[in-house]
Amino acid sequence: MHLKYESQLREPLVYGEKTYHQVTEDICRPIEAKPSKLWYIGFFIAVALLLFGVYSVYREVTYGIGQWNLNKTVGWGWDITNFVWWVGIGHAGTLISAILLLFRQGWRTGVNRAAEAMTIFAVMCAGQFPIFHMGRVWMAFFTLPYPNTRGPLWPNFNSPLLWDVFAISTYFTVSLLFWYSGLIPDFATVRDRAKTKLRKHLYGVASFGWIGSTKHWQRHESLSLVLAGLSTPLVLSVHTIVSFDFATSVIPGWHTTIFPPYFVAGAVFSGFAMVQSLMIIVRKVFGMEDYITMGHIEAMNKVIVTTGSIVGVAYLTELFMGWYSQNKYEGYTFWYSRANLFSPYGWSYWGMMACNVISPQIFWFRKMRRNLFVTFFMSVIVNIGMWFERFVIIVTSLYRDYLPSSWSVYYSPTIWEMGFYLGTFGLFFTCFFLFAKYFPVIAIAEIKYVLKTSGESYKDKMAAIEEQEPDEFAHAHAH
Amino acid sequence: MAALTKEQFEIPAKMRAWSLGLIAAGVLAFILGLVTKGLSGDEHKKAEFIGTLMYNSIFWLLVCNASMFFICITTLAMGAWQVAIRRIPEAISTLVKIFGPIAFVILVYVVIVDHNHHIYHWISDEAKEDPVLKGKLGFLNPTFYLIWTTLAIGLWMLLGARMRKLSEEADDAALRGEEPGKSFIWRNTVSASLFIVWFALTVGSTVPWLWMMSIDAHWYSTMYSWYTFASSFVSGMSLIALWVIYLKNKGYLQYANEEHLHDVGKFMFAFSIFWTYLWFSQFMLIWYANIPEETVYFKHRVDGPYKGIFFLNLIINFVCPLLILMKRAAKRNYTLMTFMAVLIIFGHWIDFYQMVMGSIRKEDAGISWLDFGIAAFFVGMIIFFVGKALASKPLTPKYHPFMKESIIHHT
Repeated sequence: MHLKYESQLREPLVYGEKTYHQVTEDICRPIEAKPSKLWYIGFFIAVALLLFGVYSVYREVTYGIGQWNLNKTVGWGWDITNFVWWVGIGHAGTLISAILLLFRQGWRTGVNRAAEAMTIFAVMCAGQFPIFHMGRVWMAFFTLPYPNTRGPLWPNFNSPLLWDVFAISTYFTVSLLFWYSGLIPDFATVRDRAKTKLRKHLYGVASFGWIGSTKHWQRHESLSLVLAGLSTPLVLSVHTIVSFDFATSVIPGWHTTIFPPYFVAGAVFSGFAMVQSLMIIVRKVFGMEDYITMGHIEAMNKVIVTTGSIVGVAYLTELFMGWYSQNKYEGYTFWYSRANLFSPYGWSYWGMMACNVISPQIFWFRKMRRNLFVTFFMSVIVNIGMWFERFVIIVTSLYRDYLPSSWSVYYSPTIWEMGFYLGTFGLFFTCFFLFAKYFPVIAIAEIKYVLKTSGESYKDKMAAIEEQEPDEFAHAHAH
Repeated sequence: MAALTKEQFEIPAKMRAWSLGLIAAGVLAFILGLVTKGLSGDEHKKAEFIGTLMYNSIFWLLVCNASMFFICITTLAMGAWQVAIRRIPEAISTLVKIFGPIAFVILVYVVIVDHNHHIYHWISDEAKEDPVLKGKLGFLNPTFYLIWTTLAIGLWMLLGARMRKLSEEADDAALRGEEPGKSFIWRNTVSASLFIVWFALTVGSTVPWLWMMSIDAHWYSTMYSWYTFASSFVSGMSLIALWVIYLKNKGYLQYANEEHLHDVGKFMFAFSIFWTYLWFSQFMLIWYANIPEETVYFKHRVDGPYKGIFFLNLIINFVCPLLILMKRAAKRNYTLMTFMAVLIIFGHWIDFYQMVMGSIRKEDAGISWLDFGIAAFFVGMIIFFVGKALASKPLTPKYHPFMKESIIHHT
């Protein structure tokens, strides 16, 4: 039998005197109770936003892209900014579930379920923008490559925009599978506890008849590992290809080779910020402080300061190369259109710098990493910063192109452009509220898996092992 | 089991002989190179000779420094698995104290003493007339080069030494218990963060631009430094693997087993793919945009005399690790891991060769006796000094707070 041991120096991942049964009780409680008033209020606000979004999109589809303020120079504006922003947010889930699984980070078990759910909803939101930006959205199926009667007319395989279609749909599919396969045993738990027939039936269908036999678990574990292996390259590929949308061009400020890894780091950065925002609320509302502990929050803040600093190095690298290249177009974009605070969009560049690079540095301090208020505030700041980043990249590179006669007037969005964005918030939170009500927001089975190594009351029992001489210990337990 | 393994490394006579032999061969190659090329009076031959010294010293310095990077990131991530083998990267990182000054002397010779404009075009007087280079002189100038190189190497040495010093506490049973353990982890975390920040400001950005990218003084790529880092890191992990296997074969490292080797193997696999990812991103974006100022870097590498090396680079550093290291069994097999580690180090050495020599000597390529000779010197030095460092303290930091987790580690 494999020894259940973990250093006393590590913080417990589960607090309190927990048994397996208690874990089930704690996590299933919100699903089995009636939703609170707060839930209803939140849910209806989300639905209202969604409906406003639907109306904004309706106008755009009916009257055309002219409902937005895009012009001939700034051909991408809020739409693509929002697209990239949402896709980026959608990176945390897979990073947590796949890469942290491969790195055997036990703390992922507290947050992976919600993070994966968030990923899926974020990717759904992201997808809306390029689809509706097509204008004639009823032709969207033209992006799919299949032998057709239009010539045949194939999509342009040389275009990174088409690669996006493949990358994002693959990512969505695999993330969904990953998330769902993790949910199966938990759905079965909810089914087994169901008091009404309908509930039993629905959760029964959702759990595919899981009975928790050894065979089931064995298959489940190999499937998780295979999906983790498949998702790991996907964490990198999606935002890499999104970055190609820009970097394959010859537009100053877009064509830079560091884009792929730097976009990925930024995506993980914003994704973790979003997980952090949601988790701080969820743990409070559902009273799950024993499972989503300060240790979890601190770990995520460490990821935020790491990725934020990587992004910072990339920003400075770009800025440096804007000068070093001695290419006057690059120089103009980086040093005038962006870094000059008094240029028309200078505010957005410095907003980005302040939110993404400067302010996250407070997470070098342990006290700050473990301060809930600071963490929540920073998680919002980071997502604002990451929105600015995409806005900076897109708009400041476009609004003044090579030909001064085509320089655009100041671009600002119409109400319908903003409405579309707000609508995706509606979509995101509608989904998230439903998820929080009907799904176990923490992976029950996975918490149980780490409970006896990392649960507070179990760790207390390891004191004797801690005192043992390393040689004795090795003699008794090494394999 | 414990009785069979030895805790204190003793340098075998054979190892010492090999290392000294390699160093001697290296010195011989250096002298021959100096006579036939360095002092030949032909500027191009001289540049080739110095270039060979440059890429070797930079490569081996960064590879050894990667060991300290590995220690610091695993420390910051509160990793436990690597504790059983931690003294190996520590020992490898001591080479920074030796290769650092060697690289320093070579680089400073090129810039300050020799003003070699065949290598760094920005040193020449023409640069002051060149409209592009003129603008870069704020960064590319001997004073800044000297200051930054001194700082970079000096702080790697200093901060690395701090980490190794701290590690010695783990040999003492007094480290047991919660309070001393916590304080130990905390002090390690602080030191490791300092190293990582400096690493990001040097290896992760400025140093590869200054030392290597500026050889193609007109050319630039924002990816360059991260690419260089990936290349040196994956070689660094391979070097660690080689020492793990060597010590296990000699009956040392009582707490380490194939689980630990497997994890080192995963790093080699993952970062080979990561290197390829960066390679592809840099190459593809330049190829796709097809801007002459940028494609000039790849033109003679893909089409010209470096064609063979260009593709060999990809085969060794991507195709081989992908196919061979993917399987679990391969990462736990001493023979295969040894083969792959040697191959990866060789592959990235070639990569550094084409990065540096491909810019100094564009018209023809060919790895000669001189390249192998100089490399032999560095390899010999690594064997000699890593052996010495390993023998200087216990092979396992026994009382490290995460030691027990490392002992029962299952990958």
